Amino acid sequence: MTISRRIFVKNSGLALVSLGMDPLFLARAVFGSYRPLPSHTVPYRPVLVCLFQRGAVDGLNMIVPHGEPAYYQERPRIAVPAKDVVDLDGHFGLHPSLAPLKALWDNKSLAAIHAIGSPDGTRSHFDAQDYMESGTPGVKSTGDGWVNRYCQHDREHADTPFRAVAFGPQLPRILAGTAPSLAIDDLQAFGLRVPQEGARDRLTRAFEELYDGAGTGLLASSSREGFEAVRMLKRADPTQYRPADGADYPPGRLGKTLLQIAQLIKADVGLEIAFADCSGWDTHVNQGSSDGQLAARLRELGLALAAFNRDLGDRMRNVVVLTMSEFGRTIRENGNSGTDHGHATAMLALGGPVNGGRVLGRWPGLSLEQRFEGRDVAVTTDFRDLFGEILSRHLGATDLGTVFPGYTPSPARFLGGIRGT
Amino acid sequence: MHLILWVALAAQVPAPTARDSAFHALNRLAYGARPAEADSVARVGVMRWIERQLDPDHVPDPRLGERERQFKILDYDRADLAGRYRDAIRERQRMQREAAAAGDTLRPRGAGPMREFRELGGELQQLAIVRAAVSERQLHEVMVDFWTNHFNVFVGKGADRFLLPSYIEETIRPRALGNFQDLLIATAQSPAMLFYLDNAQSVAPGSSPPFRAFRERATAGQAVRSRPTGINENYARELLELHTLGVDGGYTQQDIIEVARIFTGWSIEPPERGAGFVFRDWAHDRGAKHVFGLTFHDDGRDEGIALLKFLANQHATMHHVSAKLCARFVADDPPDGCIDAAVAAWQKTHGDIRAVLRAIFTSPDFWSAQAIRSKVKTPFEFVVSAVRATGVEPDDTPRLAQLVARLGEPLYQQPAPTGYAETEARWVNSGALLARMNAALALAKECSSIPAIDDHAQLVAAIDEKLLAGTMSAHTKSVILEQLADITDSVQARALAVGLALGGPDFQRQ
Repeated sequence: MTISRRIFVKNSGLALVSLGMDPLFLARAVFGSYRPLPSHTVPYRPVLVCLFQRGAVDGLNMIVPHGEPAYYQERPRIAVPAKDVVDLDGHFGLHPSLAPLKALWDNKSLAAIHAIGSPDGTRSHFDAQDYMESGTPGVKSTGDGWVNRYCQHDREHADTPFRAVAFGPQLPRILAGTAPSLAIDDLQAFGLRVPQEGARDRLTRAFEELYDGAGTGLLASSSREGFEAVRMLKRADPTQYRPADGADYPPGRLGKTLLQIAQLIKADVGLEIAFADCSGWDTHVNQGSSDGQLAARLRELGLALAAFNRDLGDRMRNVVVLTMSEFGRTIRENGNSGTDHGHATAMLALGGPVNGGRVLGRWPGLSLEQRFEGRDVAVTTDFRDLFGEILSRHLGATDLGTVFPGYTPSPARFLGGIRGT
Repeated sequence: MHLILWVALAAQVPAPTARDSAFHALNRLAYGARPAEADSVARVGVMRWIERQLDPDHVPDPRLGERERQFKILDYDRADLAGRYRDAIRERQRMQREAAAAGDTLRPRGAGPMREFRELGGELQQLAIVRAAVSERQLHEVMVDFWTNHFNVFVGKGADRFLLPSYIEETIRPRALGNFQDLLIATAQSPAMLFYLDNAQSVAPGSSPPFRAFRERATAGQAVRSRPTGINENYARELLELHTLGVDGGYTQQDIIEVARIFTGWSIEPPERGAGFVFRDWAHDRGAKHVFGLTFHDDGRDEGIALLKFLANQHATMHHVSAKLCARFVADDPPDGCIDAAVAAWQKTHGDIRAVLRAIFTSPDFWSAQAIRSKVKTPFEFVVSAVRATGVEPDDTPRLAQLVARLGEPLYQQPAPTGYAETEARWVNSGALLARMNAALALAKECSSIPAIDDHAQLVAAIDEKLLAGTMSAHTKSVILEQLADITDSVQARALAVGLALGGPDFQRQ
């Protein structure tokens, strides 16, 4: 029996319970009513893929407000010329490097969110990343990350070690906490690192036996989970993976990571949330405009996302990819043809459940009095409103108050980024 | 007196052997036992060994002194490191400009001075591993780790890249077994903490520096160029919540604001002047502050010192820090008895850390059957104890630090001021456990403490003796023997058996 069927059967059971006596029923009614009904023909679980653009991406050159004269006045050297922008709605357009995503905009599975960010005004990368991952802006001592808290409080899918996976050598802050989560650097090397298969299988069995005899504690259960994960992955045989439909991932770490996430989704091992970093956005010097440093990073991002979308094909109907970055950059270019640390930025949401073809969020404008502290794009959407909407309407989270402590999420503030039923 | 307590205790509980007690003490007060060390500690007498560990100045440590000389980072002071960091940043910017001018869109990375600076930073982690593995003053090293974690500073935040070495060497290490109040004041005045929790930028609202030129200067490398304009509460909040009173310590948001006002002006000199602590009179809030029933009048830097002394001697602080010490030394969820004993010693000695520790080590809870082998090693403890047991030489390459990082505890890289958790639930999960097994298999190949013996039963017995002081479970023994059955090569047999022993459940516990 595959894990996806197991979860499907389990979900059906829970659905019946919640019709009756489940104390969470009211909470579900508020946040869960927008969730697409589970399709009986496609029993795939919803998946969220988070890409963290570390270093603070320049939202203004990613989703270009080409209809704003102030944008061109403030950036004589680095603005993307209107003729190069891939127009979206007459006011905003994609950076030309993101042209591979235009088809997804046209078929309404890509949305952009502008003027989004943190209520905390810090311009420190460290603090702002910390707040975006802990989900508690302004509070430093939060020990765990919001994705982990979601996993702690929503245990419906807690039966697979692959539920929450970070791709990289270490578990990031966003996934830290008491709910089990995995950091995987390389899918093919997951498990015991012994070159010969025979020796590897033998050691695997030996360690399993050692821990089986260790009783019922966390050590024993974690060992069982770990080796179950190894077996599941072995059945899925990641070494034989070929992207579908001629999907062509760009060279580099991001393409490799998204390919591995696609593999894991298709392996049906119960992945619900995947997280990956992509760096190189801190463009203080010679940022470039249609070409240059930022253009090269965006090209890799656009190609990787387009390849991921093609590779997953029909499965994208249950997948949302969300980009996030700790803050945006100054409206005015600096003396080094770059931009400095700012406030609000832009994010992208991609996938079947996304209510796409729209730039979401209230645009605050770029004139002096509309800016944050006279220099940066003002935040009109608290990032927790977007994260909360995706958690509740896409993944079916029932208790956003515990995921974002100190914050009262309200569907009234949701942007409508996830399709209703 | 302690011996009497110990004897009284031994009469109540089925007495563990002297070697079992020694092994327990080595697991908690040290980074595990080296081969035969449990026996030698038992011969000295475990309580006498503990007393020696509490007095590290009289424990000779020639081998560590020799190893420390290999670390260049100990030759540089804070100003040297600040200069090297500034040069590295400038060099990187220059290369970025050149690359962009040449139309090269690839990001230059890892080149020249920045790589050298990163390598120096890596040395700091290596040094921590070498000290933990090699030092004879084991309890001192354990306490350095405890306080570094209690007063956590994240090395990746801006200026802390060059401020952390002096924080470890000058702030924490000399005070790890001293007086809590001194340690608290030292951390409050440390540039590393002032930068990490933003107090360096906390100024009275409306205040401004006396000279224009001075105004333009950014604070110690932070990317924010704008001048601070008001109080920053971060240090005040963590001081109360994490360093002293604890989250349930009975303070309010208003208390945090008053505390932050008291610390306005506590800042850092610019890097070119050595990046040392400075009290900036102009930035200090001169108004009266009311907090915890006390009133602080315009008294400059002394206000902060008085407040720290007050906090260090509050019952909530004693209880919070004692409970944390007991979680480290006794059990994840420590019984009240050992915490109360620690608090009583704290009260009596006004925060003498050695007296507090002695109270914990002589408390019946420390020696109870429930405490023994009840804790799971943290990744750092796991790697260092494996290194000690197997006789692997901790060299000055980054590999052991990378191993600790891969297991989830990259040293000095916890961004949150909480530090790393002490509890099993934080460290044990499926991915982390697989990573420990892989680490065990890798370390086993270098094991020099176990001879390659042809007889499998003798081999397993030797491993049980030297790695686990005779505490290997019957189940572990039988599984390892079973795996060895068809192996004839003695070197291969040793690698397999040691790998299974280190990666198995017995060695995860302490």
